[in-house]
Amino acid sequence: MVARVAGVFDEKLTEAIANSKILVVGAGGIGCEILKNLVLTGFPQIEIIDLDTIDVSNLNRQFLFHKEHVGKSKAQVAKDSALSFNPNVNIIAHHDSVISNDYGVSYFKQFNIVMNALDNRVARNHVNRMCLAANIPLIETGTAGYAGQVELIKKGLTQCYECQPKAPQKTFPGCTIRNTPSEPIHCIVWAKHLFNQLFGEEDPDQDVSPDTADPEAAGEAGASALSSESNTAGNVERKSTRAWAAETNYNPEKLFSKLFGDDIHYLLSMENLWKKRRPPTPLNWNALPGKDDTPTQHSGLPDQRVWSVYECAQVFAASCDALQADLKRRPEGDHLVWDKDEKSAMDFVTACANIRAHIFNIPLKSRFEIKSMAGNIIPAIATANAIVAGLAVLRAQSILRGDIEACSSVYLRPKVNHRGQLFVPEKTLTPPNPKCYVCAPKPEVGLACNLKQLTLKDLTAAFKDGLNMQAPDATVEGKGLVVLSSEPGETDHNNDKTLEEIGLNDGCALLVDDFLQNYEVRVRLQQEDDEKSWRLVTDADAPKLGPKEEEKPTNGSNGANEPKPGPSRSRQDSDSDMEIIEEDEDGTIVKPPKRRRTEMSDEVVELC
Amino acid sequence: MVENNEMELSEAEAEQYDRQIRLWGLESQKRLRASKVLIIGLSGLGAETAKNIILSGVKSVCLLDNEKLKEIDLYSQFLAPPDKVGENRAEASLQRARALNPMVDVTSETKSVDELPDEYFTAFDIVCATGLKQEQLERINNVCRDSNKKFLCGDVWGMYGYMFADLVDHEYSEEIVQHKAVKRGPDDTEKNARETVTITVKRRAIYVPLQNALSADWTKPELRSRLRRGDPSYFVMKILLRFRDEYNRNPDPAKRRTDTEILLRMRDELVKELSLPVGFISDALLTDVFGTVSGAAAVVGGVIGQEVVKAVSQREPPHNNMFFFNPVKCVGFVELYGQ
Ligand SMILES: [Zn+2]
Repeated sequence: MVARVAGVFDEKLTEAIANSKILVVGAGGIGCEILKNLVLTGFPQIEIIDLDTIDVSNLNRQFLFHKEHVGKSKAQVAKDSALSFNPNVNIIAHHDSVISNDYGVSYFKQFNIVMNALDNRVARNHVNRMCLAANIPLIETGTAGYAGQVELIKKGLTQCYECQPKAPQKTFPGCTIRNTPSEPIHCIVWAKHLFNQLFGEEDPDQDVSPDTADPEAAGEAGASALSSESNTAGNVERKSTRAWAAETNYNPEKLFSKLFGDDIHYLLSMENLWKKRRPPTPLNWNALPGKDDTPTQHSGLPDQRVWSVYECAQVFAASCDALQADLKRRPEGDHLVWDKDEKSAMDFVTACANIRAHIFNIPLKSRFEIKSMAGNIIPAIATANAIVAGLAVLRAQSILRGDIEACSSVYLRPKVNHRGQLFVPEKTLTPPNPKCYVCAPKPEVGLACNLKQLTLKDLTAAFKDGLNMQAPDATVEGKGLVVLSSEPGETDHNNDKTLEEIGLNDGCALLVDDFLQNYEVRVRLQQEDDEKSWRLVTDADAPKLGPKEEEKPTNGSNGANEPKPGPSRSRQDSDSDMEIIEEDEDGTIVKPPKRRRTEMSDEVVELC
Repeated sequence: MVENNEMELSEAEAEQYDRQIRLWGLESQKRLRASKVLIIGLSGLGAETAKNIILSGVKSVCLLDNEKLKEIDLYSQFLAPPDKVGENRAEASLQRARALNPMVDVTSETKSVDELPDEYFTAFDIVCATGLKQEQLERINNVCRDSNKKFLCGDVWGMYGYMFADLVDHEYSEEIVQHKAVKRGPDDTEKNARETVTITVKRRAIYVPLQNALSADWTKPELRSRLRRGDPSYFVMKILLRFRDEYNRNPDPAKRRTDTEILLRMRDELVKELSLPVGFISDALLTDVFGTVSGAAAVVGGVIGQEVVKAVSQREPPHNNMFFFNPVKCVGFVELYGQ
């Protein structure tokens, strides 16, 4: 088929393309562009996977989709549109998650090249492992705004996606969120937690009430606050926020008075907190600032106007009503999922974040800005996606031509560097990190935890969130004792036992494997009395982190730092997983560890 | 050049352009919406450029081409359906171009540029030309320049490509992000309280016309020293433009062998003419210049599209004045010629 017009490529490449089979993972901005290039070039066999449906905000760059396609499967519509460019190629579309038993190692093995056009780290990690296991070259792509990158990953030849520890996702201490916010983002995180407490999936780590276990609040002055109503966990003992709200029938005024009045008064009683900070000002529903303001002329999008506190309260009341009505319509036990594109959900978070910001004397933000922050939106544009996808397909051609050694990473810079370069290739392939806990011949990693406290359930979470496994099985090295089974029911009865109780001790090694990913890693347990949760210990060079993160050399401490797949967490809205590359004076690219992947995070709360 | 940018965006526009407004701001989007763009040459590169510009949300795009859609175009030209081979390329592209963004007014023109009067070109805010001969490019560039209209041109031959820009006297704003430490309260102990402040600076860039850039004097020491960087992309462009002028066509995949010989001979002549180091322009660069490879068209069309957005929105520094994509090294870079 490629020889539609002979002579465009040399014979070797023409032949290689005609016999190739390519998998494209993701049909978003970059995926659409990649698919177009492949189809036009005449790649005869292509499969494309994407679980998403089309949203109107995709249309400025995902050019295979038009307005009439909104709500439909990205993979399917992309296939149909691309076939109109060249009906002679064969495209199979999967409206599905790539993380599924249906796409095992043998599935991956049928392709010559896999091309990633994903928007989240979990899926990228997974495809990385599948390609390592299947020993298939993977071309990994990403863009963020004007910038982008294309990177080849090939087992044994290059570093893999997980060779370098990634900058941990930004987290905020729980006490900052609950007691002492100082930036708009703290209030936004709090507002999203409040949404989940009231309407979403209740998560004990997302408590929104004053945290009396705040170490800063301790001491004599704070003792008055630590009254009989608090329990040892630091949470004010009472009904769940949801139950309380339901009892008041989600009365906006009552909710408001509790959240922005009573709770703030309670915080004020924790006097130690305010010795060096400006204390918050509780609000009264009946005396809200901005009530009598005349609306000023606003230029710009309506969403870019910052609401007054009074307006926020109105929006709070209206969105509470709407969300409660939505919740009531659902079957018992069901819950809402926060979505930045859902009007009431976004209104609610904007209003709550701004009301709280006002209370704590933090600048208020517009709905437009809050949507970016709460929704982790990384701006995406057609041109950067087109460039990155074009480079990716040219790289795929080089691989097929047998020039894989020449396929070093290429970075699209937002502005030219001092040598005038806009696309900057690395001089050579970056070799694998021999200590990588994913692609090393014998992968190994340490797990620091308090064996007396960490339960088997926590351990499972550590393997899933920390090691990005989907269905881990674990046995004790040398003994063959099954600690954890991915078969439902087999080890569940031990879930609440601590590691010590099931006989694991300091220095003991577990062989942990994930059947789907065909990945096994040896995990050494390290007793650390002070570790409240768990933390991975890698031999790889720790990335240079800011002072805040320095205490946590790897993936954070509460086991919740990686975004979890599934509906409860919003996904990033872009094709992004960028590495920002710094160059030294000569324009040589500075290698890791200075190199960092920047990824807008799903915010996560650490325990204090 | 920018007309009425006071009108507010509609809700539909705000929704569709949400992600890019978050990147380049509302003001840029309004300027885009007021701009009229002419795209000459609906090859693969023309189609890629048109796609990017139409998606960005300009006021109007006119597709100009007097050529017929050929089989070879289908390798990279996704706006024209395969069953329209033999029809006019601009007209064949119209339907899909419009479907990309119904908010943009897309039209076509089937006359050759030589038949069109000067005033035709100056009715647009910016002209992007591809597939033309040097003489035609220079004429349109000069016509635009005299009316203070912006001009870009570019080509993709096989995997190789270039772009030239003449934005005449271009004023733009650039955002510079500065970090400063902030304190909240009298004795703030929050260690990470930092604020980023974005300041906007006004800048100006002066451009030269295409004929200056194409007749760069390589005997001058400042250009001679550029040879040390070792990238021959500028000369590859010169050879391919000469080929087009001389043979009235691009290198033809069906004549891959004979055309390669011609290209290598033209290369040797240019090396002699400009006293370039022997072997400076490798054979490898001149063997992948047949047809239009889709990936390369996407890359160069992406760059041209972005430059059009920068030029009409008058935001962020545009490239001054030539961009080259060297597929052998997979490097893309900007150099200034003719000044
Ligand atoms: Zn690795």
